[in-house]
Amino acid sequence: MTCEEARKNLPLFLYGELSFDEEELVEVHIDECDACRQELELEKAMFAALDGVELVPSAEALAESRAELRSRLALAGQPLGTSPVRGSAWWDKLREGFTIHFHFAPGIAQVAGAAVMLALGFLTARMTPNSLLGNWHSAGMVAPATSRVRYVEPVSPGRVQIVLDETRQRVLSGSVDDAAIQGLLLTAAKDSSDAGLRVESVDLLKNNSQSAEIRKALVYSLEHDPNAGVRLKALDGLKQFAQDPDTRQALTQVLLKDDNPGVRTQVIDLLVQRHTDAMVGVLQELMEKEDNSYIRMRCQKVLQEMNASAEMY
Amino acid sequence: MVQAAVKMDEPELIRAAQQGDQRAFEQLVRLHDQNVLRLATNLLRSPEEANDIYQEAFLRVYKNLHTFRFDCSFHTWLYRIVSNLCLDALRKRKVRREESSLVETSEGYLDRMDTVEERRADSDPERRVASKQVREKIQEVLSGLSPRERAVFEMRHYQGMRLRTIGELMGTSEEAAKNCLFRATQKMRAALGDFV
Repeated sequence: MTCEEARKNLPLFLYGELSFDEEELVEVHIDECDACRQELELEKAMFAALDGVELVPSAEALAESRAELRSRLALAGQPLGTSPVRGSAWWDKLREGFTIHFHFAPGIAQVAGAAVMLALGFLTARMTPNSLLGNWHSAGMVAPATSRVRYVEPVSPGRVQIVLDETRQRVLSGSVDDAAIQGLLLTAAKDSSDAGLRVESVDLLKNNSQSAEIRKALVYSLEHDPNAGVRLKALDGLKQFAQDPDTRQALTQVLLKDDNPGVRTQVIDLLVQRHTDAMVGVLQELMEKEDNSYIRMRCQKVLQEMNASAEMY
Repeated sequence: MVQAAVKMDEPELIRAAQQGDQRAFEQLVRLHDQNVLRLATNLLRSPEEANDIYQEAFLRVYKNLHTFRFDCSFHTWLYRIVSNLCLDALRKRKVRREESSLVETSEGYLDRMDTVEERRADSDPERRVASKQVREKIQEVLSGLSPRERAVFEMRHYQGMRLRTIGELMGTSEEAAKNCLFRATQKMRAALGDFV
């Protein structure tokens, strides 16, 4: 083996990706060649330097990703080709967490920032964690409104055990500033089955967008809600944070991905209030695919003001 | 009525999840998700984008698990999804130019990657400065690699996957993966020569 061949094989040698015969040849050569042995040491040093820059996501990042995945799976529902399964506590928990129905009493919901009356429709007792039962007034609890047989299981000849999901309605009232109320509103804002409920919930939450948790929920709604009305409400709540880096990043993604021109129009109006270098690439990418004339005009104007081309390189 | 928690191996978990057992699906996710997030974080060097890849990958697994027929290992099937998503993200980024990990905040510019732990911390200030230079240089070199070279390198170097597996999940041969890795290491060696 020549020095050139040996050096070419050094990385694969260190990765253990050479065949037995190739590895033998490299080892023999290194034993005999000082220069290549030195080269191997340099290669090892480079490997060590590379090892040192490996990024390890923090436990918090992993936990956040897992929590977000749970929410998304709950919204995604049961995939095709599978059937609901008995005793799947995790699924039950997900379903419970995201199938609560809330209804605002007419009239009261329109008084933003004021006390809000929540009628929690079909809220099972299990759905309400004790931690959420904070400073609110329970206006009434009625007998189970509906029941559903979850599953049946024969336990002995002639006897059966039935698991029943009972749902009941409760009316709760409290301030929209109350953490427990906000917790329920946050849950309702993700209710995949009722866009109207999401619009109302997001509309109430948007007035408290100084809370990081609510802002995060608004960003999530803006990025993922299938209903444009909900997205516009969320956007409304984020307007005053348009210069916040995280919000700005989310707005940028929405500008590039949202299929609703009304949403994109509002987003671009917000983003172009401040010109940053990072915007150039985004606007150029947008120009490649945007078909709305107003948005294109806004893009072009800003790019001109920034002395940038309207095309991507 | 409470079912006893049964420890299942991976094929059992897959079959149970295919039948709609969400708890099994969660366990299946937890067998792999740490490495998936790590790969995406290292490849994209952006915690937000890594999380996006994580979400999209497992949502795809969730939606398509019923089509998994054990023709290959679940690991290969999963990483085929993950690597395709990462490659798409890297290619897209190439088009819109390499994104800086610096973000502007009210307190000046901050490096988003400072929120991610590096594997080795150095308590010696001098070495830390030197290590920072090397880190920046490595980051620069990694950014210069093609998406495929970068993906192969990350999977081989940091995830410890065999080139045969990498070739399989990237839909290419072991030889092609080997060539890719070779080019990546050559470029790094050329660029890092004075730093190591």
